[in-house]
Amino acid sequence: MSASIDMGVFAETVFAIADEVFSAMIDGEPGGLIPAFEPFEVPADATYAWVDVHGDHPGRVLLATEHETAMLLTRALLAMDDDEPVSDADFVDAFGEIANVVGGNIKSLVPDPGPLTLPQVSPLPPTDQAELLHDAQFIWRGRPLAISLWSLP
Amino acid sequence: MRVVVADDSRVMRQIVIRTLRQAGYDWDITEASDGAESLQLAKDLDPDLVLSDWNMPEMTGIEMLRAMRASGMDIPLGFVTSEGSPEMRDQADEAGALFLIAKPFTADTFRDTIDPFLA
Repeated sequence: MSASIDMGVFAETVFAIADEVFSAMIDGEPGGLIPAFEPFEVPADATYAWVDVHGDHPGRVLLATEHETAMLLTRALLAMDDDEPVSDADFVDAFGEIANVVGGNIKSLVPDPGPLTLPQVSPLPPTDQAELLHDAQFIWRGRPLAISLWSLP
Repeated sequence: MRVVVADDSRVMRQIVIRTLRQAGYDWDITEASDGAESLQLAKDLDPDLVLSDWNMPEMTGIEMLRAMRASGMDIPLGFVTSEGSPEMRDQADEAGALFLIAKPFTADTFRDTIDPFLA
């Protein structure tokens, strides 16, 4: 994917994409997601969601955030109260869909992309030999959230 | 108006249905979790509209649309999908889709896209 995507354009565009997704589907208004002012490490208690793009330049869009943040995102997506119980199925479904929508929009930056995989959600990051191309870090409701782009072998 | 909403994500089906209601569409909605189930519902219910995701297991949305048209079903179908590339829009158009709404969407997006086809 690195040969086919302009990282400068990606860095500028990924925030616009994420902001649109969060504004329309999660917060109902703009401004909920902001770029992080200070770099952060993904916490140990993290949840990951990702989609892969097949084709000549295979790549991956990966979301990473604290598990509790992913739960809050799920409740916001489903218009639930902040203390309402969330089933495991809805949690995986909702957090995966956020990755799917962000990834589908980022895929549009790649010329002649192949098919998008169905989203995957895990408490562990993917373990294959992917190469990090860009890590965009955000703050949502005071909580860190990273969206990264990877090149796949 | 009877409508089938097809998406492998239950969460996304809920969001689509919620947004349809926010857009003012008080429709009789039946849910399908993949393209094959949606195709069967189209045969059984003869709905007025199918709103379908593109990327689903068992049968994708575009495969379902082509199967519908190949079997003579002319039920109107619009895509609601996370990808809205020009290539996909061309494929959707060639297969006979009414429209393609790219996620994320709002109630305004639904009204602006769907209303012209209801007139």
